[in-house]
Amino acid sequence: MTAAAPHAGPDLAKTPGSPAASPSPSSSGRRTLRRFLPRFLPLTPALALLLVFLAGPIAYCVLIAFTDLQLTGQAQESFVGLDNFRRAFRDDAFLNAVGLTLVFTVLSALVGQNTLGLALAALMRRASKPVRTLAGGVVVTAWVLPEVVAGFLLYAFFRREGTLNAVLDFLHLPSQNWLFTLPILAVSFANVWRGTAFSMLVYSAALNEIPKEITEAAEVDGASGWRRMWHVTLPMIRRSIGTTLMLNTLQTLSVFGLIWVMTRGGPGGKSQTLPLFMYEQAFQNSLIGYGTAVALLLLLVGSLFSLLYMRLLRTEV
Amino acid sequence: MSLPARPMASRSLSSRRTARRLAADAGLLVVAVAFLLPLAWVVLSAVDPHAGLRVKAPDGVTLEHFDAILTDEITFTPLLNSFLLCGGATALTVVCAALAAYPLSRYRSRLNRPFLLTILFATSLPITAIMVPVYALFVRVNLIDTVQGTIFFFAASQLPFAIWLMKNFMDGVPKELEEAAWTDGASSLQSLARIVLPLMGPGVAVVTVFSFVMMWGNFFVPFMLLLSPDLMPASVSINDFFGNRGMVAYGQLAAFSIVYSTPVILLYVLISRRLGAGFALGGAVKG
Amino acid sequence: MRPTAARPAVRPTALVALCAAAPLLLTACGGGTGGDPDTLKVSFKQSTDNSVKVMDTYLADIKKQFEKANPGKKVELVPIKAPDAEYYTKLQQMLRSPRTAPDLVYEDTFLINSDITSGYLKPLDPYLAGWKDWERFADTAKAAAQGEDGKTYGVPDGTDTRGLWFSKDVFAKAGLPADWQPRTWEDVLDASRTIKKKVPGVVPLNVYTGKPVGEAATMQTFEMLLYGTNDGTSDPLYDKESKKWITAGKGFRDALGFVETVYKEKLGPDVADALDPNVGTRVRGEWLPQGKLGIALDGSWLPQDWLEGSGHEWPEWSKELGLAAMPTQNGQAPGKVSMSGGWTWAIPAKAANPDLAFEFVKTMQTKANAQKWYVANSGIAVREDVASDPAYTAAQPGIRFFTDLVEHTHYRPAYPAYPKVSTAIQEAMEAVTTGDASVEEAARGYDEALRDAAGGQVTSK
Repeated sequence: MTAAAPHAGPDLAKTPGSPAASPSPSSSGRRTLRRFLPRFLPLTPALALLLVFLAGPIAYCVLIAFTDLQLTGQAQESFVGLDNFRRAFRDDAFLNAVGLTLVFTVLSALVGQNTLGLALAALMRRASKPVRTLAGGVVVTAWVLPEVVAGFLLYAFFRREGTLNAVLDFLHLPSQNWLFTLPILAVSFANVWRGTAFSMLVYSAALNEIPKEITEAAEVDGASGWRRMWHVTLPMIRRSIGTTLMLNTLQTLSVFGLIWVMTRGGPGGKSQTLPLFMYEQAFQNSLIGYGTAVALLLLLVGSLFSLLYMRLLRTEV
Repeated sequence: MSLPARPMASRSLSSRRTARRLAADAGLLVVAVAFLLPLAWVVLSAVDPHAGLRVKAPDGVTLEHFDAILTDEITFTPLLNSFLLCGGATALTVVCAALAAYPLSRYRSRLNRPFLLTILFATSLPITAIMVPVYALFVRVNLIDTVQGTIFFFAASQLPFAIWLMKNFMDGVPKELEEAAWTDGASSLQSLARIVLPLMGPGVAVVTVFSFVMMWGNFFVPFMLLLSPDLMPASVSINDFFGNRGMVAYGQLAAFSIVYSTPVILLYVLISRRLGAGFALGGAVKG
Repeated sequence: MRPTAARPAVRPTALVALCAAAPLLLTACGGGTGGDPDTLKVSFKQSTDNSVKVMDTYLADIKKQFEKANPGKKVELVPIKAPDAEYYTKLQQMLRSPRTAPDLVYEDTFLINSDITSGYLKPLDPYLAGWKDWERFADTAKAAAQGEDGKTYGVPDGTDTRGLWFSKDVFAKAGLPADWQPRTWEDVLDASRTIKKKVPGVVPLNVYTGKPVGEAATMQTFEMLLYGTNDGTSDPLYDKESKKWITAGKGFRDALGFVETVYKEKLGPDVADALDPNVGTRVRGEWLPQGKLGIALDGSWLPQDWLEGSGHEWPEWSKELGLAAMPTQNGQAPGKVSMSGGWTWAIPAKAANPDLAFEFVKTMQTKANAQKWYVANSGIAVREDVASDPAYTAAQPGIRFFTDLVEHTHYRPAYPAYPKVSTAIQEAMEAVTTGDASVEEAARGYDEALRDAAGGQVTSK
C-alpha cells in the first residue's frame, strides 16, 4: 500500500482532509463545543437519516435475529437465543445457499467481471477509436439498465427458445435449457453482463495513469504483451485491482432482483443465493426471525469485506 | 519520449502496433457482439409484431406494442411513481450530503476521521441484507407502504456514498476562494451555497445522477416497503405485469423495458458528454 | 491524514438525544392509521393471466350495487396480482399494519387458522348472529372458517373438489375410451404411458409439483394421492386425538413415488415448466384448450377461465374435455378420492371499517349475487338455496360431476402449522421431481422439516 499507485478513480485518489482553520488545541472544552456545534450543525440531517434508517434497522436486525418472529401462525414472538443460528448450520438449504453464493461470487465477481473488465480496459487502450467507442457504449449500457430489465433480457437470452441456443444451434453446438440445467451459471453470466462495465471503467482510469514511458520502455526492451502486463502493468495497478475486487464482491453479495426475475432462485434451489434464501425463509416460509438471522450472517460477511476494503484505502482518510 | 528512436526498431515497432491494434479491435468486437445480443433482442422485439424469445429480424415494424403498454395502469402511473420516489429521494440525498460534506471538508475535529471511516464502511454494506429487518421495523413504526418512508430509506441507503463523493469533490475547491466571503461576514451556509457548490457543479451532477440511476433501477427496496399496487414504481410493476412466465407478451415487455430504461440512459449519456468520456462516475462509483 | 487531536470536541449527548428521538420521529413520519370512514377497501386476488378478469368483473358489479345502496360510501378495490404462493405473503404483509390492512380480504381456508393465530383476523360471530342468510350455509363450509377457539372468522364463498380432466381428442388418438374412468393409480399411469407412446408432442399427464406452485402442488397432487392410500376414513397427515402431525409412512412414500414416476418417465411436463410458478395459468390458458395436454389432475374451478367474457373463451370445453374421478391407490373402497378447500371473505383485525365491510359481504351474499359468483367462477355452492336452484346446476356441465364428488371428499387439517407442513411436502415433491433425492431421502427430509414446522408435535403411525 505504498506511494501513489493509481486506483479507484480520481476522486478517491485525492487526499482528503483539509487545511482548515482548526480550533486551537489549547482552547477549553466549553469553547470548543461552542464553536463545534454551529460548525457541525449541517451534519444533523444526514446523521439523523443514517441513524434512524440505517443504524436503526441494523440494530433491529440484531434484535430479531434472536427471536422466532413469524409472518403467520404465531400469537407472540419470543427470544430463542442462538436457535436460529444453530438451525441455519444444520439446514441443508442454508448450506446450499452458502455454497451457491460462493460460486456466484467467485464466478461472476472475481473471475468474470474483474478479468473481463481488465481485459476490456487493456484492449481499449490499443483499439481504434470507433471500436473502442462502440464496445464501451454497449458494455456501459448493460450496466446502466435497471436491474429488472437486465433480468428480463437475460431470461430471454438463456431460455430454451432464446438467443443463446439459437447461436449454439447455428454453430452446431449442443444447446440446452440453461435456466434449468445450469441456473447458477446463467445468473452468474447475467451478473457479468451487467457488472463488467464498472471494472472496465475503473481499470481504464487506472491504466491511463500509468506513465507512457514505462510501458514503452518495456516494449522497446522486447518484452512480450503478456510479460509486460504481468511484470509492469499489473503491479502498477494492484491497488485498483484490490478495490475493484472488493467492490465487485460486495455488490455481487447483494444481488437480488436479477436472480429473482430470472429464476426466483430455482429450480430446486439451484440458483438460490443467500439473499434469495433469506427472502424465502422470511416471507414464503413466514420465518421472519430465521430469515433475519441469515440476513445478519450476510451482513457480517459483508462487513468483513468492507473492513478489508477500508484497509486497502487506509491512507485515504 | 525519453528513448532515442532507432529507425529500424521504430518501423518494426509500428507494424507490430498496427497488428496489435487489429487484434485488439477484433477482440473488442467479439465481446461487444456478445454484450449486444440481449440488447438487440429488446430493441428488435419491441417493434416486431411476432416477437419471440430470440434475436431475429422483425417480421415488419409495428408500434402496436408501445400502443398496448402506454396506458395509465401499465406505464404512466408506475413511471410517475418512480419519478416521485427517486426524484424525492435523490433531492433529499443531495441536500443532506452537501450539508454534511461541508463541515467534514472545511473544519477539523477529532470526530472527522471516525465518522468518515464509518461512512466508508457503510458505503459497501450489502443493503439487501437489512431489507427484512427494515420491513419489520417499518411495520412496527407504521411507515410501511408509504412513499415518504421509502424515500427516507432510499436516501439513507445512498447517503454514505453520496457524502463520501461530495466531500472529495468539495476538497477540490480551494479554501482561499471562500475567505473573502468570510471576511465579508457570510455564514458557512451562505458560502456553501454561493461559492462552493457552484464551483463543484460537475461533482454535484455526478452525485445526483448516480443516486438517481441507482434508485431508478432498484427492485428490492420498493418491493419490500410498498404494498399498494397504485404506489408501485416501474421496477416492481414490470415484474407484476410481465413476470408471469409462459403467458408473457414479449413484444410488450420489450417495449416497456425501453420506455422504462430510457430516462437513465439519457441521463448517463448527458452527463458523460458534459463531463468527458472517462468521467468521474466510472472511477468513483461503487457499482 | 491524521486529525489534529484537540481536546474533547463534543460530548455524545447530542447523539444520545438523537437516538432517543428516533422512534418518535419515525412514528411522526408514519402518521395516522389511514382510514376514511366512508371508503371501504376491498382487496382481492387478481389473476396473473392479464386477460382473465373474472373476479374484477364480479367485484365491479357488487361495488356498483353497494355504492348505490349506501349513498356516500365508496368502495376501493385493491387487486393483488401475484402467483398463489406470493399472494399469501403479500396479504399477510398487508394484514400486519393498520395502515395497509384493507377492510375486507380474500383468504384461502388453508391459511385462515394460521392467520387467526397471528391475530390478523376479526371474529365475525356478532355479525353472523344477526344475519339470516348464515343459516343457509352448509356445516362443513362453516367449519372451514372456524378458529380453534370456536369462533368464525370468514364467510365462505364456495368450495371445490378435484378430479381428472382429460382431452377426448388426445384420448381418441391414443386409442383410449372417451368414458375413461381409471380404477387405480396404475390405470392413470398406464393411460399416460399410452399417450406418450402414441401421441407425440403432447404432455400426457400434468400433476403440480414443487414449491413454485405452492399449495396447488400439495393439494391438487399430493393430498389427492395421499388421501387415497388408506381406508379413506382417517387423516393421514394429522392425528386428531393426540393433536400431532404424522411423519412420512408408507402411503406418504407411495404418493411421492407416484410423482417421481411421472417425472422420471417423462409422463409429465418438462420439469422446467412444471417448476414455473405460473404453470397453472398455462394449463388452463394454453395446454388444455390447445389440446397439448392429455390428462390434468386439477380443480373443479377450471371452466371459470373459459366462460364468455373471461378472456379465454372456450365454450366447446365441455365437449372436448372428459371428466373422471381420481381413483384410490389400489381401487380400495370407497374407490374415489377428492379434496376440498375454498376461499372466504374475512375482516382484518386492523380494518378501519369492519361494519361496512360486513355490509359488503352481505351484498355479495344475497342469493342472486352469490349464485352469479358460483356460476362465474365455477364454484361448488355451499349455500343450500343456491345448490338446489336448477338455474345453477344447469349453468355448467361440470357442476353436477364435481358436486357429486363432495360425498368422497376430504378436508385439509388446516391447523396453524399447516402452511409450513404444506411447504415441507412441496420440498419433498420438488426433490423427487428434479431427481435430486430418492423417495426415501425426500421422506426423511420431510420428517425433519415436519418436526420444525410442528414444533416437535409429531407422531409416527
